[in-house]
Amino acid sequence: MTRVLVIDDEAPIRLLCRVNLEAEGMEVLEAPDGPKGLEQARAAEPDVILLDVMMPGLDGWQVAEQLLEDDKTSSIPIVFLTARAEFRDRARGLDLGGIDYVTKPFNPLELAPLVEDMLKRVGRGERDELRGEKLAELRALMRDE
Amino acid sequence: MTRFFQGAIEAFRRRRVPAATATPPGLAARPEQTALLRAIETLGSELDLDRVLPQLVDQLAELLRADTADYYVYEPSRRTLRCTVVHGLPGELVGFEVDAGTTLASEAIAAGRPVVTTSPPVPHPAYGSLAGAIVAPLVGAEGASGVLGVGRRQGEFTAEDADFLGAFASLAELAIRNAETFAERSRQERVQRGFYRIASVLGQPLSLAATLDAIAQAATEALGGSSAAVLMPRAGVLELVGSHELPDDLTGALANGLPDSAKALAAAAAARRILAASSVADDDRFDPEWRALAARAGAASLLAAPVESPRQGTGGLVLVFFDEPRELTDDDLELAIHLADATGGALERSELFEAERTSRALAQQLARTGSLLATELDPAAVLDEVVQQAPALLGAEACTIRLLAGDELVVQSGAGPGTDGALAARSPSTGRLLGDIVQSRAPIAIDDVAVDNRYAAADPVLAEGYRAFLGVPLIGPERTVHGVLAVYSQQPRAWLPEEIEALSALATNTSAALSNAELYQSVALEKERSFAILANIADGIVAVDRQGHVVLWNAAAELITGIPQADALGRTPLQVLGRTLESDGDSPTGDRLLAIQRGGEDAWLSITEAIMRDPAGIVSGRIFAFRDISADRFVEQMKSDFVSTVSHELRTPLTSIYGFAETLLRQDVQFGDEERETFLRYIASEAERLTGIVDALLNVARLDTGDLHVNISPVDVRPVVSEVVSSADDGGANGHRFVVELPTEPLRAQADPDKLRQIVAQLVDNAVKYSPGGGTVTIAARRKSETVEFSVADEGMGIPQAEQQRIFRKFYRADSPTDGEESRSGTGLGLFIAQGLVTAMGGRIWVESAEGRGSSFAFELPAARARL
Repeated sequence: MTRVLVIDDEAPIRLLCRVNLEAEGMEVLEAPDGPKGLEQARAAEPDVILLDVMMPGLDGWQVAEQLLEDDKTSSIPIVFLTARAEFRDRARGLDLGGIDYVTKPFNPLELAPLVEDMLKRVGRGERDELRGEKLAELRALMRDE
Repeated sequence: MTRFFQGAIEAFRRRRVPAATATPPGLAARPEQTALLRAIETLGSELDLDRVLPQLVDQLAELLRADTADYYVYEPSRRTLRCTVVHGLPGELVGFEVDAGTTLASEAIAAGRPVVTTSPPVPHPAYGSLAGAIVAPLVGAEGASGVLGVGRRQGEFTAEDADFLGAFASLAELAIRNAETFAERSRQERVQRGFYRIASVLGQPLSLAATLDAIAQAATEALGGSSAAVLMPRAGVLELVGSHELPDDLTGALANGLPDSAKALAAAAAARRILAASSVADDDRFDPEWRALAARAGAASLLAAPVESPRQGTGGLVLVFFDEPRELTDDDLELAIHLADATGGALERSELFEAERTSRALAQQLARTGSLLATELDPAAVLDEVVQQAPALLGAEACTIRLLAGDELVVQSGAGPGTDGALAARSPSTGRLLGDIVQSRAPIAIDDVAVDNRYAAADPVLAEGYRAFLGVPLIGPERTVHGVLAVYSQQPRAWLPEEIEALSALATNTSAALSNAELYQSVALEKERSFAILANIADGIVAVDRQGHVVLWNAAAELITGIPQADALGRTPLQVLGRTLESDGDSPTGDRLLAIQRGGEDAWLSITEAIMRDPAGIVSGRIFAFRDISADRFVEQMKSDFVSTVSHELRTPLTSIYGFAETLLRQDVQFGDEERETFLRYIASEAERLTGIVDALLNVARLDTGDLHVNISPVDVRPVVSEVVSSADDGGANGHRFVVELPTEPLRAQADPDKLRQIVAQLVDNAVKYSPGGGTVTIAARRKSETVEFSVADEGMGIPQAEQQRIFRKFYRADSPTDGEESRSGTGLGLFIAQGLVTAMGGRIWVESAEGRGSSFAFELPAARARL
């Protein structure tokens, strides 16, 4: 069973992720802030982490950095949940080592397929290709703007 | 001359026969021989003619038992006899002259032997009572030189008496000759000493004054005078310039030049003639005044010898005074002529010596003044220095400097008596004297301004009683005349060429120093002005030299960088600011943005750069101008943050609304009622949150446009405050304790209740947000005299002093309690809106806070009058 850790300070959004991912047969863990998220990530070793960027205290960027620095958690794919519309913010997540990003507001029904698809490709060893595709996507968007 | 002396001495030796061995034959048998020989011996040992002659006649009278005896000098050229000495006769007879042809003497001279008579002729009444007489000629190598006579009032002379007189006369002739020769020799020796003296004076270079005194002394000694004076022409009068033993009376009388009463002397000097006055007292060539003066001073005779002033070609005089009446002989005159010649030579030499010495002194003085002036940088001080130095340089008493102003010469500086009043005096640049100097560009020297009274009219300083004037033009670097340097002397004086040259040189120095100083002043002024501009300019200006060291760091640069000038000068910007200022490459690139550290913060500079190059094109320095755009960037940053914040604030509730809506719409999952209700409640509350945010943005927009409407009415504020607190109080979940302090009676304020709620809610929200460690939040409202004051105090992190002014600005957001730039939350509009609302209701809002010790926000609103 796929285990997903959702780190977000907004309770409704955590709930939103939980009900929709559980509906697809995934196990969902929640953390309301960065420190608790890191703790859970090390303890539960989830398959994927959905990480909110704008949180009080430790923000998403910092949580990602710490996850990637820790051998225990560095291989866990990270998907950023961001309300920040600027391209540079999205790019920053990928630069840090995130695999993908989801821009708020999002359709919660699309979360599970995104996670499944991503895990499939990472499982095939296409982690870097995936990141490369997302970065290329972003660049194309930035060029168009 | 030496040969002449030697000849005279030889002659004297030949003639001076000792009396004991020179007894003429025929006297040996006489019984009186011994007495005669003794008498003559006595005479022969006496060398002073003045004493020989009286003794001669006294002895003669005694030997011949005569009542009278006399001695007459015979002058063959005039055939006259002059009485020289008498015995037993009135003294007035001395000097009496008689024609030789009519007397007994001529018979004796003609006969060459004594003549006896019993009826002597009476050439003078004094001889009227004589009964007998003998006259004997004195015959020397050159014939008769005089006669000796004896007379008796009773009794006659015998032939033996005549023989005795003849023998006596022969010996007397020798004695007289002896004494005369000695006198001549003494005179010659004296003359020789005089010549030696003159020669020694000539032999060494003496100052003019010493030479003149030495000439006076030489003249005194050479001519056997008692004193002497040297007079030289100066400005039309003969001035006393040297003296020897000169009596005070004469010194005083000559102090102001040779007086008019001695015009004859001035005439002699002018005509280069010798003037001899044997008896000044009755010499009618002189005015009585001078004669009386001479008598007072004991000057019986005088001899004036002309001397040539080598420099001016005018005549001076050497005056020798004699304290006894003196017949001045040809020898004296010859000596005087020689003296005059010698004096001319000595003067010439000493004047040359003097001129050289003067030139050297002038040159030294000029050099000193020049070096002084070269270092003087204040034009006024240059002028003052010069007017002080110039009189000393030339031995004058006053000095002025006039500078051209338009077509007038204006006195700029002066030194010496009477110049104070002349300061700022103006005279036309085309006028007499001063104008002449300007127009001719040449010096003008006037020895005595009294010769033309227009001079004094031309220069007010001259009118102060100065007599001599020397003016030279001040010629500037471009060869233009820009003023006149003038010195003044209280006595008439001849200006020497080297003095004129010296003053001209000083004028050149002055001009150079003046333009130097003026240049320096204008540069200094320019520099001062530049510094003033740089100091007051709002832009930071920094200049570095070739090595990149800071040479200029203006006040704005201090302000912008926070680094004082003293810490920056001499170091490189890299050392001072931790980064370089110059652009890459050699050409400036226009405006650049640059961040520097200022007190631990980034400060943003907009910087432009100018590159200075030397003639070879090498970079010799750079000038940077920059302004602090941190504030602009701060606003930009705030706006940008606002956009992303608003985006986040809007997107978060939208995510919930949209997400739960989509979730509810899922067909594949059946949610329970409870779940559905939770979803729907989230949709509702998040929609409300969204509305709140939109309201806030609208409020801001209204505040910006002044479009905010408030409905003010008397409101009891207590329920409003309580309501806000109860909705905020989460029962201590986040470690906050709420304390509400309200009066028990209604507390009415003039307020819009909705807006009041909004304000209090914002302040409580902030208090909670910025005290992450929990603590007490105290909310109070109380009545002041005319207002109701609200306060919300926390125990949180507090606000730094520097931030307290900025927190009410739009978009301002404090760093959130935890670290990290991105963790700020809120729109940055809360306090801005709260302030806008308070103001709209006629109140004011403020904060008191200390960093780390919590904040207390307070606002006041007008109190509502009771019972409304």
